[in-house]
Formats: sequence, C-alpha cells, structure tokens
Amino acid sequence: MSEQAAFQPRIAAFLCNWCSYGAADLAGVSRLQYPPNIHVIRIPCTGRMSPKFILQAFRKGVDGVWVSG
Amino acid sequence: MEGDFTVKVVSHPRYVDMAKCIACGACSEKCPKKVPSEYNERLDKRKAIYVRYAQAVPLKYGIDKDNCIFFAKGKCKACEKHCPTGAVNYEDQEVRRDIKVGSIIASAGFKPFDPSIYLQYSYSKFANVVTALEFERILAASGPWMGHMVRPSDEKEPKKIAWLQCVGSREVNACDHPYCSAVCCMYAIKEAALAKEHAHDGLDAAIFYMDMRTFGKDFEKYYEKAKGKGVRFVRSRIHTITEVADKSLQIEYVTENGVAMTEEFDMVVLSHGLEIAKETVELAQRLGIDLMPSNFVKSGSFTPVASSRPGVYVCGALAGPKDIPLSVVEASAAACAAAGKLSGARGTLVSEPEIPKALDVKGDAPRVGVFVCSCGINIAGVVDVKAVVEYAKTLPNVAYVENNLFTCSQDTQDKMAQVIKDQGLNRIVVAACTPRTHEPLFQETLQSAGLNKYLFDMANIRNQDSWVHTGEPEQATEKAKDLVRMAVAKASLLQPLNEVQLSVMPAAMVIGGGISGMNAALELARQGFTTHLVERDAELGGNARLLRITAKGEEVAPYLKELTERVKSESNIVLHLSTAIKNVDGFVGNFKTTLAGPGGEEVVEHGAAVIAIGAAERRPTEYLYGEDSRVKTHLELDSGLMSGAIDPKKTNSVVFVQCVGSREPERPYCSKVCCTHSVESALHFKEHNPDCQVTVLYRDMRTFGERELLYKEARSKGVLFVRYGVDHKPRVAKAGDGLTVTVRDHILDRDLLIDADLVVLASAIVSHKDESLAQMFKVPLDEDGWFLEAHQKLRPVDFATDGVFMAGLAHYPKPIEEAVAQAQAAVSRAVTVLSRKEMWLPGTVAFIDQKKCVGCGVCWTVCPYQAIAADDKGLAVVNEALCKGCGTCVASCRSGAPNLRGFTTQDVMAQIEAML
Repeated sequence: MSEQAAFQPRIAAFLCNWCSYGAADLAGVSRLQYPPNIHVIRIPCTGRMSPKFILQAFRKGVDGVWVSG
Repeated sequence: MEGDFTVKVVSHPRYVDMAKCIACGACSEKCPKKVPSEYNERLDKRKAIYVRYAQAVPLKYGIDKDNCIFFAKGKCKACEKHCPTGAVNYEDQEVRRDIKVGSIIASAGFKPFDPSIYLQYSYSKFANVVTALEFERILAASGPWMGHMVRPSDEKEPKKIAWLQCVGSREVNACDHPYCSAVCCMYAIKEAALAKEHAHDGLDAAIFYMDMRTFGKDFEKYYEKAKGKGVRFVRSRIHTITEVADKSLQIEYVTENGVAMTEEFDMVVLSHGLEIAKETVELAQRLGIDLMPSNFVKSGSFTPVASSRPGVYVCGALAGPKDIPLSVVEASAAACAAAGKLSGARGTLVSEPEIPKALDVKGDAPRVGVFVCSCGINIAGVVDVKAVVEYAKTLPNVAYVENNLFTCSQDTQDKMAQVIKDQGLNRIVVAACTPRTHEPLFQETLQSAGLNKYLFDMANIRNQDSWVHTGEPEQATEKAKDLVRMAVAKASLLQPLNEVQLSVMPAAMVIGGGISGMNAALELARQGFTTHLVERDAELGGNARLLRITAKGEEVAPYLKELTERVKSESNIVLHLSTAIKNVDGFVGNFKTTLAGPGGEEVVEHGAAVIAIGAAERRPTEYLYGEDSRVKTHLELDSGLMSGAIDPKKTNSVVFVQCVGSREPERPYCSKVCCTHSVESALHFKEHNPDCQVTVLYRDMRTFGERELLYKEARSKGVLFVRYGVDHKPRVAKAGDGLTVTVRDHILDRDLLIDADLVVLASAIVSHKDESLAQMFKVPLDEDGWFLEAHQKLRPVDFATDGVFMAGLAHYPKPIEEAVAQAQAAVSRAVTVLSRKEMWLPGTVAFIDQKKCVGCGVCWTVCPYQAIAADDKGLAVVNEALCKGCGTCVASCRSGAPNLRGFTTQDVMAQIEAML
C-alpha cells in the first residue's frame, strides 16, 4: 500500500442538535456504513460554532473539520 | 353523543411486545421472508417483521401476519430466536377496548390516486412510468436506490423527465374526480427542481399542466425560481404515452399556439391526485358524519373543522384536498374545537411526579459515573463493551463504571439511582444510544437520585458508532473509547443549572377584530380565559363587512352579525374599539401591553397574544380604475350586489380581469382567493340573468380543491374564460357609452374586443406591513409584509417568539374557512401557554460576563430571538425567558463575554481536547 493510500484523515464534525445530529442518528437506524475516523461533537445550533473550535481542532491534529446544520 | 362518546377500539396484534422491543432490528435482519415495501411504494423489499419506516414513532417492530412464514406454515420463529429481549410473542391477541371521550377528531387522511385505470398512460405496463409518490421515494436517501435518481427499467440516470399534471384530478371521465387535488402543482415543481439537483450531468425536466396552481405563501416565488433553474412548463394535457425501444417514453402534445409536437422522455412521472379510501368512507359512516359527493368530509366555511355530527371534528386531507401547512393548522384548530366544551375537565387526569430536592454539588470534586450500555447485541455485537468499561475506569475523575445489558430498562434505572446515592456520584455519563431520544429518561433518573439533571452527558456509541461501523469492530471499539473520553471530559466541567420558574398570566390579547380575531377571541373566552380584543376601527368585522358569500355559497353578512353579537355579549371578552397598541413589554406568560383608546392609555397584562390584523384590497392604478365608475374591485362588486346598486338583470356584459397587481414583479405572490371570487360572482350574474355575457380574463385559473366544481359549473353555464399572457395584458377603454376590453387570444394570436357594462378587477390583497407592531412583539415580517411564521410547514401559526401567534390575512391571503381554522389553531397554541399556572424555562441559556462586555451590540444584533438587550450601563443582559440557547451570541462576541450554559466554550474545548 502506498503511503498516500494509507492516509486516513481524522475528521471532527460539529453537528447541530436539531438537524444534522439527528440525521447522523438516522444514518445509524438505517445502518448506513461510513468510515470510523469521524468524531461528532453535538452543538445546540450552528450559530454556536465559534471559529475558535475549528482552530483548536486543527491545532489538536485533526485533518478536517465538518460543520453541519 | 357530544361530550359523552363511547368509542369501541380494536387494537390489532403486532406480535411484538412494545415494552420489550428496543428496535435493534436483529429480528428483521434474520427474517427470511421478503415482502414489497409499502413505504417505498413497492420499489424495494422489507421483511415480514418490520418497522414501516426509519422515523416511525414509536420505533417498534411488528409482524405482518399475512406474510409471516410461521403463521402460514407453523415453523420458522427466526425472529423469536434472535430477539435479544424476548419481545416476540406469537400468541399476541387483538384487544378490544371501550374508550370514553368527550370529543372525536377524524384525521384519517387521503389515499393517493391509483393511475392504473388510465389505460392510455399504461402505468402498470411501462416500467418507466411512475407515480409522483414513487418518484419521491426514488429521490429519498431512505428510498430504494439510496437517493440515486435512476429509472426503474435499467437503473440508469434519466436525462429527460416529464411530469403530467392532473392525473386523477379535474377529471370526470376516467375516475369521477371533478375536484382539483390542490397539492400536485407544487409537489411536481419541487420534484422537478430536486431532480435537477440530483442529476449528475444535467436534466431536462418538463411539467405538462393545465393551470399552474401555486396559490400558497411563497409558492409563486418557488414556481418562478424553478423556471429560472430551467424547468420547462408546457401548458398541455397529454392524452397518450407510448413506449419506444429502450423503454423510453414518447408523448405527443400541442403547444399553446396549436403546433403538434412529439417528444421522447426517459421517464414519465404521473402527478396523481388525492382521494378518500373506501375504508375511510366506511369509517365516516360508522362515525355518522356526512360526506360531500367527492367523499371528502362535509364542513362549513364558518366551522371548518366541525363535521355534521356535534362533537365530531375533522382535519387534514379528509376534509378536502390540502397541503401540510393547512393540515397542521386544521389539526390545531380541531384540537381547539374539541377541547372547547371540555375545558372544565382540563388537567383532571394529570398526576405530578415527586422530585426530591437536588443536592448541592457546587465545589465538590467531580465524581463521574459511567454506564456503558450493551443494548442487547446492538452495541455489544460490534463494540467490545468490556474493553470500553476497563478503559473508562482509567479516565480522570471517573469514580464508578458499570456495564448494563439495557441501561434504559426500568430496573437499571432504579439501580442507577441507587448507585448514584451509594457511590456519591455527582456527574453521570451514559454511553449508549442518542441523547435526542434518551436524554430526558436518564435526566429523570438523575433527578430521582437527587442530582441536578444537567450534570449529565451521553456518548453516542450506538447510532453513531456500532450501527454505522458494523464491519470494523476494533475501530468501533476504539471510537467508543474516544466518545466516552470526550463525554467524561465534558461531564467533569458541567455545573448544576437552574430552571427559572415563571408565573403565567391567564389572559390573552387578540389584535384585530375581523373574522379571524373575533373567532380567536370567542374560542379563548370559551376555554375560560379573559381576552382583550383590540380593534383600531370603531366597529368589528374587518374586510368581511364587504363580502357577499363564501365559496360554499354561505352568506357572510348574517354570520358576521351573529358573530359580532356573540363577541359583544361574551363576558370573558374585554372589547377595546378605536384602540391602538402603543407599547409591548415582557415575554411569554407575562406581557404588559399599553393600549391607547378613546379613554386614554391603559396597560393590560396577558400571557399570550394573537395577531390577526388582516390585510387590505389594493387600490388598482390600471384598467381605468378610478377614472370610470364602471370599473370596480371585488369588494366594491360585493358591496354593490348586496346594496342593489349593481343589478345583474340590468347588466348585459361583465368582464372580470384576474391578477390585477398579483403575480407581478413588485408583488410576486398569488392572492389566492380572487379566482374563486370571480367564478362565484360570474355564476351569480348567470343565475340572475342567463343572457348576461360573462367573461373572465385569467392567467391561470386557481380554483383549488373543491372550488374547481364552481369553475366547471361556470363553464357549463356559459361563462367564457379567456386566458391572457403577461406580455399581452388586457386593455380597457371607453367606447361611446360603454367600455371595451381588448384581449389577445393566444391560439388565434389576434385581439378579441369585448363590450362591457361592468369591468371587475381581481385586485391584489396587500399586507398592512405593520413594522411597528412586529417590532413591539419581536416577530418578523417577510418581504411582502406578511407575518412570518416559525416554520412554514410545521409551525404555521406560531412565531419563533414564544407566546405570540397569528391568524388570518395578516399571515397571507386566504379564504374565510382557512382564516377561521387559523384562528382556532392560534387559540389552541395559545392555550398551551395559558393553561399552565407556571412555566419552567430550560437551564441551557446564555449568560453575559459583564466584566468582559464592552457594549458593542454585536450579540443583541445577531440574537435571532431578541433575547439580549443593553442595560442602563449599556452592557448586554440576557432575558432568559426569551433565550433559546442557540449560542450565536457566544460565537459572535469578540471579547468572550457571553457563554452558553450546558455548552460553554470550555465544555466544547474539553471535548475537542479529548477527541484525539
């Protein structure tokens, strides 16, 4: 396996409680499969999403940040 | 009888114990029997033990006995064997119960029309002819192709799709459905627009229609937007579909100027209408309620949710074809009507749980308890829960960890409460399913153990871990550990939060004394609440004073007289005539409104408000209006007919001009009621003077729902309907003693000249654009000046601001029955506030550290709930009664002064820290 193929990005997801977080739950109910290298933090609204959170996530070493709401 | 019904109810066996089923789906996975899925319109398969769809409430499985192998052959029992909770019960029996109720609401809905009977459309024969509902499922992520838009014959993406409107609607020959189904134009546009978004390399979407009926709020804009996106609209009714070699479909049609065309499409979608199912007709017979010839339940315009039988109410498509917003309005209206006479019994069956006083844990070091759920095998089948337990024990602040087969079961809850006390735990983490469904349950357990319910967090290791990483148990286990670590990190920082208690003033204010406002006030009064009815005019009635009849033919004047008298004699109503609103202070449950009336200023306290300020008829500037007295608006026509000033017998020719000021760039909406009003007026002329020449000049006839029957009757009685294009508007000119109306006939492409004694303009309905009232109540207006609801589909009479509701034309132009239904709905919603003695506001609200605040005002500008204001020092303060805890203020502040309880910056940062 080449080095590039082995690269697995680590993704931090900030999901709005009322829509995207619910959709992530529904993905589970529907047994949709996706890679495990994504970690979800539930926020009360994407309005809560501070740029600081994104910077801090990158500083901690994640490769991608997904904000959805 | 009304107020005392005994209803015999049969609950069919589902062969699954609802109390034991945890909806893990193991039964369905193992069930060997596949059955076409009703939910996906039989385009894919489900099992014989199943839930109908993923969002089902309650989310519990059931066995379809007719298709189950065990019930047919006596063996199999795969579901029973694999059920981790022993929920399957083949012995389940039907249960018959007598339920005593005071009122009944019928909301049995509609059945989509089955187009198989149209031989010329070959729906059952051609694979790529689908119904609109099938197409809806094809587009859905939970549909048969996971949201990939493909056609059924070869599962390839279509490049060209045609929608055919009015399949099973406005159709007498094939199916005896003379009515318009009211929703199909909008859903076809929606499907076409969505299909274009789904297409990978472009899609040619064409909608074949007779009249485009986009009459609802913002519908016309949606239609225009779809045109802008390239959806083609072709005015032609298709008579035949033929299949060609690759199972594509050929249709023939005639363009507006009479040219015959042949076009091939990859798929054809039939926009099928709404009808009432045979079983529903039988149910209506058992309920003893009258139906219309079309089988929709009969109701009156002034009592839109009352059936013919006292005490039995009706809502939704069962009472006539309608869309979601109006169905939701009617549902609340039916609840209001049903509760009206029962208001004395409100709350008599409620028992309050006893909650022990919460321990004070402030300043105590965190002692986190972690409960890791196996959820049968739902989590444990993928995640190594024992490893997660061992790992959790190593985390800082964790004092206790245990694993449960089902953490949510009642016995575990009792045990958890005991463990919290025995171990002295002061923060709890449950690693299980989702907080969206289970957080309230666990929070109750915390409360029963004497802990503040906000000292709780969940790690979602089922829905967002074991269920979605089934094939990767090791990584799923690692992720479960990560999620538990994140939850523990956040939980360690959580602080007990207070829920503020507010008293509720059990009085209401209704603003506007038209039909909507009077109905709202009467219903509120009937439910036992003092109601202040505020009207700026010296008399009640609003626009209805000038209206002649409803679409159903009821006379408005006698009703209005009776309604006004009832309002005046109702002891719970305080009438404020010739009165304006000066100021509004306070919030839900506790408004203080200053009224300015003839007797000076007065402050009124109320817990809720209904805004029903109506709208106005626009004064036209075109078609000689104002220059020639024979050019009149609709309200002027009605007044003239009622007073006798206009006599149909003496009128030889009348021309109605539609869309005067509506559907124009400066007013890009349809006024909804004018087509029907013109048709019913046209019929009035024909009825009193059959020789009168009546002509209606229109762009699209929008006689939606059962109003279509009036349109049909008008045509059969000789009313002429001439369509005009927006590029060729009619012209009205004086000619000798009379008027001449010139209109371009689109087929002949030549002008028609019509002599008229009377020209009636369907002038637009315009909003009052009352920005000051909107600001006082902290509620928004849309760009056309209509009050903007909290959610167009699901909360059609609510505002985002609690305690304020709307009804009638203030929301959007609408006929009387919809205005009355909306008034009743607003009351229903208002009573959810007024019937409470006190309210508890959630603790997860924003707060301001004033030491950091510089008073720049960004937070109160961005707050969508207007919950932040400046105090006397110019610094921000949060009104907790208005705050919804969205946290926008926190994200917007440059100096970090606001923070959000339960989701503080520190909480979220701790989760980020703990993530990797």
